[in-house]
Amino acid sequence: MIVIENLYKKFGEVTILNNINLHIKQGETVILKGVSGSGKTTLLSIMAGLDKPSSGKILIDAEPISKLPDAFASKLRAKKIGMIFQHFNLFEHLSVEENVMIPLVPSGLKQNVIREKVKNALDLANISHKKSMLASRLSGGEKQRTAIARALVANPNIILCDEPTANLDKENSLMFIEILKELHGQGKTIVVATHDPLFEYLSFENKVIPMVDGAICE
Amino acid sequence: MLNNAFFHFFTLQLFKERGKHIAVVLLSVVILFLLSSVLFLSSSIRHSLNQTLSVQPDFVVSKTLGGESTTTPLEWSDELVDIYGVSEVSPRVYGRYFAKSKEKFFLIVGVDFLEEQSHQELKKIMETTELKGFLNGDKMLVGEGVKNYLSQNFYEDDYNFLTPKGEFKKVAIFKTLSAKSNFIANDMMIMPIDLARTILGYGEEEVRDITFNVPNPDEWEMVADKVSALHFNLSVTSKKEVEKAYENLYNYKGGFFLILFLVLLTTFVLILYQRYSMVYSSERRNIGLLRALGWGINDVLKLKFLETISVLLISFVLGVVLAYVYVFVFDAPLLSSIFLGAENIERNLGFVPVVDFSVLSSIFLIYAVPFIASVLIPVWRVAVTDPKEAML
Repeated sequence: MIVIENLYKKFGEVTILNNINLHIKQGETVILKGVSGSGKTTLLSIMAGLDKPSSGKILIDAEPISKLPDAFASKLRAKKIGMIFQHFNLFEHLSVEENVMIPLVPSGLKQNVIREKVKNALDLANISHKKSMLASRLSGGEKQRTAIARALVANPNIILCDEPTANLDKENSLMFIEILKELHGQGKTIVVATHDPLFEYLSFENKVIPMVDGAICE
Repeated sequence: MLNNAFFHFFTLQLFKERGKHIAVVLLSVVILFLLSSVLFLSSSIRHSLNQTLSVQPDFVVSKTLGGESTTTPLEWSDELVDIYGVSEVSPRVYGRYFAKSKEKFFLIVGVDFLEEQSHQELKKIMETTELKGFLNGDKMLVGEGVKNYLSQNFYEDDYNFLTPKGEFKKVAIFKTLSAKSNFIANDMMIMPIDLARTILGYGEEEVRDITFNVPNPDEWEMVADKVSALHFNLSVTSKKEVEKAYENLYNYKGGFFLILFLVLLTTFVLILYQRYSMVYSSERRNIGLLRALGWGINDVLKLKFLETISVLLISFVLGVVLAYVYVFVFDAPLLSSIFLGAENIERNLGFVPVVDFSVLSSIFLIYAVPFIASVLIPVWRVAVTDPKEAML
């Protein structure tokens, strides 16, 4: 469960997020919808603990992620949150399998356990056949699926997606939505920040939250 | 603690980003090679010098004229013998003999082979020389460098000296001294004292200087004072003073190289620091991404520390091994002439391998600390910023 209360984010005089209040239940799919600059990516980053709010409260399964010491916040992020970035953010010099492995490296899990988890994630994202290929040689859709596998490898409850289809063609975008549907079916909490109209009519239950100028429009 | 997966990822990163590390390794190897070569060379020279000096007589007495050393009266040796505590008084006749248009010179050393020697090396040479044959006629012992030089100039068995009186004096080569004594005897010609007098133009009662030993080190100062008091124009030089002079000479040269090294190291550290702190944006992005994927600050620092220490160890081993080979196998071409000075006669001087492990550890620390700091401080600065900011 994600709880956001009276959340503000300011850069000097500029207010990026203005009094955000949001409760996202376990298993819910939420689409943060808005044009560029509406604050949805910043809100997502704060949810993931990648950025800190100027004020307000954010709880991930009752843990105040932005106020936790680094060691705890990192563990929380590794265990509970899977993040899919707009530009995929893969390590181009590593293979698909090696990229997917990264979130588990500091976990202390044994190598064979990690291998098994990586295999499952690759299968789920339908990218197993490219596991040995360097990330730099993948197509946009394949990069996206690798990023999905990486987000899923630690089996997190929360999946956060920042403009996940911005760099994909329609076919790959629809494929991505199918994967989201499957994750939704598994009971994952999904938050997608997007302005892609494809997300307006999803074939599974979801909540669309429009954002304008850093605020939620009810 | 390092788990298998972490170690696996670290080796993977190291291998896959080898291109990034090679430039740093190469530069490090050059710096470490230079520093290690200089230190190996100075250690080896110091070792040889110590060995050479340890067999030198304890004191040298000479006459001064207007502050400069001149020929010394032989009768002073009798006065020295009379001083309590003094032993092995030995007059020496030696001097430079310039050959072939003054291009090269030999160091002629006249030895009274029938007297006890205060110079241990000469003692050894005398012990291994068949004196009966040597003293029969005008003969000399020559260093390896002299022998080679004479051979190149077609003097295989003897050499014709031109005396100050304008007469030629033919002296046969009795034996070549072993290569082991090259450090001291490379350009030496050792001959009976009277023959040396003739060639160098010394009078019968003149010597270059007089050496003596004082077996009890506690009496050194007192004996030196007594000897100095014998004549107003008598100068006494102790072995310790000679040692100090050599030490200063090589410390000065070593210090010069140390300063060069520090300048080089500072430049290198600045380059590394700049590369990791400001310029190297992909490194920032990667650190931010690792943090975004659940890595803690400690995990990032651990990975970068391992990467840095590996690069450092590889560079250190390569630099030191290359320096060892350069100095002790190839006899340090170029660098040896800087340290030993221009050679009079070509010297086939094998540097004695001396590896001082405290020096090696110092090199490692002097290099490792700024190196690691120049990488880890910027990495830490990036790691503690919010991942989103680092990934920008």
